Amino acid sequence: MTVPRRLNPSPERGGSRAKRGGWGASEKPVQSPHPAGFVGHPPPAGEGSATRSPPAASGRRATARPFLRTFVTPAALCALGLAAALAAVMQYSLRAYVPGSLEAGGFTLANFAALAKPLYGRVFLDTVWICFLTALCTLVVGYPLAYALVRARNAALKSAILVIAVTPLFLGEVVRTYSWIVVLGNNGFLNAMLTKSGLVQEPVQLMFTRLGVVTALVHVTLPVMVIMLAAALAHIDRDYERAAASLGAGPVRAFLTVTLPLSMPGIIAGVTTAFAWTFSAFATPQLIGGGQVNMVSNLVYQLGFASFNFPFAASLSVAGLALTLAVLAVMRAAARPLEQIGPH
Amino acid sequence: MKRLCMALGAMVLLSAPLEAVAQDKLVVSVWGGSWRDMVANIIAKKFTAETGVAVDYITGGTIDRLNKEKLAKGNPESDITFTTSHVGWLYANDGLYETLDLAKVPNAKDLVPQARISPYHIGTWAYVYTIGYRPDLLKGVKFESWADLWRPEVKGKLAAPDFDPSHLIVVSAMLSGGDAAHWEKGEARLKELKPSFKAFYTNDANSQQLIANGETPVQVILSMNAHYMAGEGVPVELVIPKEGAVLGIDTVAIMKGSKKTDLAYKFINTVLDPSVQAEVAKFKKGSPVVVDAKVDPAVAKLPGVFTTADQWSKEAIVIDHKLRAEKTAEWRKWFAENIMN
Repeated sequence: MTVPRRLNPSPERGGSRAKRGGWGASEKPVQSPHPAGFVGHPPPAGEGSATRSPPAASGRRATARPFLRTFVTPAALCALGLAAALAAVMQYSLRAYVPGSLEAGGFTLANFAALAKPLYGRVFLDTVWICFLTALCTLVVGYPLAYALVRARNAALKSAILVIAVTPLFLGEVVRTYSWIVVLGNNGFLNAMLTKSGLVQEPVQLMFTRLGVVTALVHVTLPVMVIMLAAALAHIDRDYERAAASLGAGPVRAFLTVTLPLSMPGIIAGVTTAFAWTFSAFATPQLIGGGQVNMVSNLVYQLGFASFNFPFAASLSVAGLALTLAVLAVMRAAARPLEQIGPH
Repeated sequence: MKRLCMALGAMVLLSAPLEAVAQDKLVVSVWGGSWRDMVANIIAKKFTAETGVAVDYITGGTIDRLNKEKLAKGNPESDITFTTSHVGWLYANDGLYETLDLAKVPNAKDLVPQARISPYHIGTWAYVYTIGYRPDLLKGVKFESWADLWRPEVKGKLAAPDFDPSHLIVVSAMLSGGDAAHWEKGEARLKELKPSFKAFYTNDANSQQLIANGETPVQVILSMNAHYMAGEGVPVELVIPKEGAVLGIDTVAIMKGSKKTDLAYKFINTVLDPSVQAEVAKFKKGSPVVVDAKVDPAVAKLPGVFTTADQWSKEAIVIDHKLRAEKTAEWRKWFAENIMN
């Protein structure tokens, strides 16, 4: 995707307004359509240096990345550690479980063959469906929050939105989930409100249901979505909306035809990340689902760790990882036409 | 460079005495939270007063600690490990435990037979998993037998632990003419219980929350949890069914490779001291495992607290600990496939 770059932004745009900092940088000139940290295409080496001599360009390249090796080395070591852990999980998945022993037995494919049972297929499908619902609901809730966060002019309001949006990240997953049990329970906050207001006669069953699990997962995932959407929205040049308005478009039409399409890369990034983030959720489905709504991670715990059958737990993990990669690949392919809608 | 060398030298000098202090400590592996506090405040306090040796702790979940010790085999992180009786067999089968010489534990002579688990680990305190319910939310329902869980009034109200289905599997087998070794006899009956389950709880806190807020007014519950909730004002009633309640015993063992086995034996002897046993029983509302512990009468009369040989033999269903260690995975898988999902 080609990205127009304003290499010489006017001082009043790139200067004083940008100093507001944070998410208020929406008035900055377009630098990249991608949310920060999503698709970090580095500028091509030597870009804008056509008049420089080759040795000078080479020297610039050498000095432009003085810390490259320093930063890459720990990253490479981390990657190596993760790869080794993954290899250990893989080899465990191909070994037999020995009842009453901590040691795995010899080579076997039985762990993967056992996954063919309908139960496991159902849980895998349930997991994908819950992740999809969570990502979608988080987008619906997160977009207005991110929009308000970026566009609000009042600093106090901006801070309040930021706190509301990001606070869930600072609470432990277990604490957050126990709080949701208090909210969703038959005698909890929501049901008390519903019954006292006369909207329902009997408490609505929210605990141990898919609705309850998705509700709590949306809360968990919201900060990620808001941060990604806000980054995308902050990079949209307001001049496009002003141009639409000058041509007679109302605020809603300008939003639907200009802002929303231009934020599409952020939406895709947010939904994809929310999906992957939710796929590994454990405590929330474990406690809110109460064993009645299970995701892959819960099966790994139930069948692997709670019963010491580590080889089977490993095979479930490998299958879960493969499924995540497959679904993300499908989502990426499906989203490619939408990504083209973004700014060019 | 000179400064760096001096700094390193100072660090070496400083670390030497610290290491000496660390070597003087006995390291105990135990669950966190109130379990660690109990060991520290009741057992270790007496042990330190008698020996002058401080106690350090490694805390964590049952499986976490098992995995850590497995990785450290031969050079254990702890000298003493507390764990459940059947998980203790996993340690033992993997060669992680020292064979106990009970001649070095004078208080072990008074151990109840049910607490003599293996040559490697012995019981420290006991509890039961049994029926606990909220009479205020289940008016007119009485539980006298495990079979009462199958009553229609319980439909959609029951919770059981998701981490261990052995209680219900064995009970269902017993009600169907089988036992733990022939658990398959109870499969059909247990499947009939499926509509009664509302949820499966993950840990003690989860169990307590679900019974306190009335979400699951009947539970297969840990007796200690039920007594704790009753103490908090939750109207929970604990039942010892006529068939008995499923016994659970936490155990203690010395890690193979420990360099402080003499101190470890002294620690185990302190665990089994009658006065310590009585204090533990009072703190956790569990059963002492030595016959001469003077348990507070208010605690002794609680259901699931066994203080007489008669109670131990008539009110407890004992699942063979080694068999349970071997069958747990199979039971867990069957339960997940047929009951939970």
